[in-house]
Order: sequence, then C-alpha cells, then structure tokens
Amino acid sequence: MPPLIDWEVCTLCGTCADRCPLDVIYLEDDEVVVKFPDECWHCGACRQDCPVEAISIEFPMIMLRV
Amino acid sequence: MNYGQEYRIDSDVAIIGGGTAGLNAAMAVAQKGLSVLVAEKANIYRSGAMGGGIDHFMAYLETGEGWDTRETYLKYVGRVAHGAANLQIHEHVFCEELRDTIERIERIGVSLRNTSTGDFYRTQAMGQPGPYFINFNGKLLKPKMAEEVHRLGCQVLDRLQVTNLLLHDSEMAGFTGFNIRTGDFYVVRAKAIIISTGNTNRMFKTQTGNPFNLWYCPACTGDLHRQAFDAGASMANMEYVRMSIVPKGFSAPGFNAFFGMGGKLINSLGDAFMKNYHSMADRAPRNYVVWGAIQELKEGRGPIYMDCRHLDQKELEHLFSTLGYDKDTLPDFLMKKGYHLSGGLIEMNVSEPMQARPSELCGSGIKIDRNCSSNIPGLFAAGDSADQMGCLHMCTAGGFAAGKHAADYAARINQFKHLDEESIAREKERVFRPLQIKKGTPYWEFEDIVRQITTDHFGPVKTENSLNSALDKLYRLDNDKHYLKAENLHNLMRVHEAMNIQDVAKITANAALARKESRFHPYHYRADYPETDNENFCGLIVVKKRSDGKPETTFEQLYYES
Repeated sequence: MPPLIDWEVCTLCGTCADRCPLDVIYLEDDEVVVKFPDECWHCGACRQDCPVEAISIEFPMIMLRV
Repeated sequence: MNYGQEYRIDSDVAIIGGGTAGLNAAMAVAQKGLSVLVAEKANIYRSGAMGGGIDHFMAYLETGEGWDTRETYLKYVGRVAHGAANLQIHEHVFCEELRDTIERIERIGVSLRNTSTGDFYRTQAMGQPGPYFINFNGKLLKPKMAEEVHRLGCQVLDRLQVTNLLLHDSEMAGFTGFNIRTGDFYVVRAKAIIISTGNTNRMFKTQTGNPFNLWYCPACTGDLHRQAFDAGASMANMEYVRMSIVPKGFSAPGFNAFFGMGGKLINSLGDAFMKNYHSMADRAPRNYVVWGAIQELKEGRGPIYMDCRHLDQKELEHLFSTLGYDKDTLPDFLMKKGYHLSGGLIEMNVSEPMQARPSELCGSGIKIDRNCSSNIPGLFAAGDSADQMGCLHMCTAGGFAAGKHAADYAARINQFKHLDEESIAREKERVFRPLQIKKGTPYWEFEDIVRQITTDHFGPVKTENSLNSALDKLYRLDNDKHYLKAENLHNLMRVHEAMNIQDVAKITANAALARKESRFHPYHYRADYPETDNENFCGLIVVKKRSDGKPETTFEQLYYES
C-alpha cells in the first residue's frame, strides 16, 4: 500500500503526483490521493523527489511475510 | 468525464518513449538543429526502466589491461550473446559512441566516478572477462537527462499513451495518442519516428500475485512492439523469456550488485551450488544463474539464499548503498524483513518471466540495421525495444546514435506526409470505446487470463504442443477485446496496455515455435528440443506480419569469429 504521505508535512506541491511513473498518485481538490496503491512499483521516485520529505514507503504484508 | 479534444502537432523527429534511450535520442536530434517531440506515457523525469535510479554502467575503458579493449569486449559479446547479438551493429551503435556517452553523462551532472578519488569503481559479473561494470550513484541520472532535454528545447508530451502508428504509402507518417489525465487526443506528424518504449512486462505471473511487483518497469507493456508489428516492422529476439534472481517477496534488481561484490547463492543445505552449473560459478552470465536456481528449487534443495557473510564491513556498506542506487526502496525492504548489514543470509527467488532480451548485450523487439532503422522507411528504434540494444550502456550510447540517424533521415525529407482522416477518426473511436462500455470485462481480468495462459504454456518451459495451445487460447481472446471496459482515463490506459500485452504474447509464442532448439536456457527452453543447435539456429528468428494479418517467421544467420 505504498506510498504513505505525512499530512502534517505535505505542502500539496504536487511533485509526487507529477512524477509517479505508474500514475498512482493524484493531486485532487487540494489533496494528494494515492489512487491506485496496488499499482505501485516501489521505485521510490515520489519519496526521492518530495521537497519536504513527507513520503515514506510501506510494503504490502505479502511482500514481507512470504 | 471530458475526453476527445483534438490537438495536431508537427515535428521533424518524434520519439515515442522518454526513457533512457529516448532522452539520449532527443539530445542528438536537438543538437542537429531539428525540431523534436518526446511522447512519454509517464513523466520523463522518472519514467522507464531506471527512472528511480541505477547503479551500473558497462564499459571497456582502454586502460591497457588485455580485457579492457574493444576487441576483447566484442569477443565477450559474441560469446555471451551468441546467436542473438549482431556484432557489426553492436560495434556501430555502442562502441563508436561509448567515449562520448561517458563524457555526456558526466557533463549533464552525474559522476560515474568515486567523487573523492576520481576513480571508477569496477566490478565483474555475468561472464565478463574483467570488471566491466562501473558502479556509480545513478539516482539522479534520469532527472538530469530530463533537465538536459528541456534545456535543449525539445518538446515533451508527458502522460501521453500512443495508440497507433500512421503510414502513408508504406512510409512512416505519424501517430495518434491520448493524454491519460486530460483525455485529449493527439495526432502527430513526423518525418522520422524513433520507438524507445522498452520491453513487455506484466506478461507472466509474479511471485506474490501482484502483476506490478516486477523486476522491470510495469509501465512498459509492449505498446509499440504491437503497433510497429501491425505497421509491418520486422521483429527479432522476441522468443526469449527473461528472468533474474531477486529477493523473495520483492522483484527488485540487485543481481549485478550482489554478484559483482562476490555474493554467492547457496541452497538450504548450505552448498554454493553455482559451481555445479558453470565454470564461473556465481559470476556466470545471468541465464546460467537463473537456470541453476530453478534446478535447485525444483529438485528440493530450496529455499535459496544470497550469502554475503564473507564480505568485510566496507564491502557490505558499499553493497547496501549500490542496492539502493539501483532500487531506492530495496534497503528499506531488506531492513523491514529483518536483514542487516552484519551480513545475514538473504532469501532469494527466481523472478517472474518477461518478454525481453536474452542478454545484457543485445535487445529484443524491432529489428534494426547499423543506422538504427527498421525495415519501414522513417521508423527507427532504440533501447530495450530494439533487437540489438539493451541495458544502460547501450541505451545511452545507442539512443544517441538512433537520434543522429533519424535526424539525418528527417533532414532529407522535404515535407510532412499526408494523413488519412478516415483512419484517424476510426482510431479515435476505437481508443475511447472502452469508456462507453458499462457491462464489460475490466482490464485486470483480461490481463490475468493472458498471464495464466503464458505462464502455463511458456513461462518458461515450452514445447511445440504447449506453444500451439497457448496460441489457440490467446487468439480466442481477440473477440473479448471488444467488451473491455474502463471507468476512467487511467483504466483506459490499462485496457490498451492489456490488449498490447496479449498481442505481444502471440508474437513471442510464434517466434518461439520457429526456434526448434534451446538457447540461453531457460530463456528459450524447448523441452522437445533441449539442446542448442548452432548449426541451424545461430541467428535471429525474424517475425513479421503477413498481408493476411498472420505472423510469419524467417531465420537470419549471425556470424562470429571463433
């Protein structure tokens, strides 16, 4: 279910929504929406490019437990 | 939902796919002073196979060592990519460009060297005669290339899904596409077109069941393999089903980093088994390592582990940083699974198969000549979507070469070609139709069926019977395409991707039928022809669409000095 956005820190700049290569993240009505979480490739582009380090990556349970 | 607003653009050269090869091609065209358009399904800052980062660049550097020369390197290519790499093309699109390419990468702001010592950190894996892999921090390589492309004034259309190529009198004339966020429809005319859209992923089942948990980029779905094939382009090296060794649970890259640093695979009995499969053991070419791992798992000696316990602290630190350069989130994953720097055993797995090149030293897809041109006038290919390019070193060098050749071609054409308005209208209707279908099949259900068929019948073991069965089932799916539905523009993109994956699967199965031998085991393992037959099959299976729409295959011999 990655990525995870820290709403306290996020400034709604939209960089993550702009850069996500899998079209997973959207900026909608002044809110960052992780719209297609199952389609995340875990490339980390959103986390790397976030100017305020508001993004962390969460791995689905199956990836960690198998 | 609004969609269908139409835009028309003319550009001397158009590049479809703004990954590594596409952006290097754009730089070359811009430097020749022609107008260039890059059409990219994601965003060029982070799109493509290495958008999130990369840690290795293959090169010989002429340092005076016997192995570090063009001649030894080409011998290595001929040995490791035997029957798939065309050495004349390889020399022309890679070797001739290598020196400038290294300079270009460093000029745009990414150092291939250790910044404190100024030296290259080189490691050896994959059957190399010496340490050809330069380890470097490439986390910003893609954004830096994107900045350079913008600085050069190239026009970029991000979030554009290209849907079909347009021909005029059998020559390339343009293409159509739609913006996956706005629904705008684009008609582009170009004097030359370069395809650089990577290989085909999401075609086989994955280790955790999620089709996006992939070693290679899940956005590369063979869109332009399918479109080029339909336009009449010859394709080669399409029969190979590529795999790697990945961490259990996460299909992430890391093969070069682990084996380059001296990591060894061991089985559950503690045996470093690769010595039983190849004289170079864990430093063997990738396909041998995958083959060895498959045998160990199949014969009950699994699970398998990456053993790095013999590395010292400094080497382990280097390894963990390069793993993160190649896949930003891999160190997080390993930590969350409980592994740490003191060097425990990391459980590994064989990755999902994919339609792609059988070696780092060739490609798979549109068949190119030494000028990166396809058999269709005005259509060029570069990077993983060309049959003779792949991997960062060739995508940067060969992408630039393709840009130069396409620019030279476009400069000789006086005017843009006429487009047939009726076929554009038909295409527009086809593209948006899934948005009007209410009671239909979602893309993922269709795609799951394709993956089940491919995995059952050629993922990776295949025979004439299994391939014919796969083809029968894949062709039967053609009719179901008319009932695919999309409730939004994002899923409209996915519907088109799913159809392309199915079509490329048919091309792959047809090519695999024609290669009545095994090569690069297990990438092309025919259980009915388990041996490599260099007398009859040292070369390319070329697939092309006949006038009746069916694929036909021919064989083209490749020659190597012994």
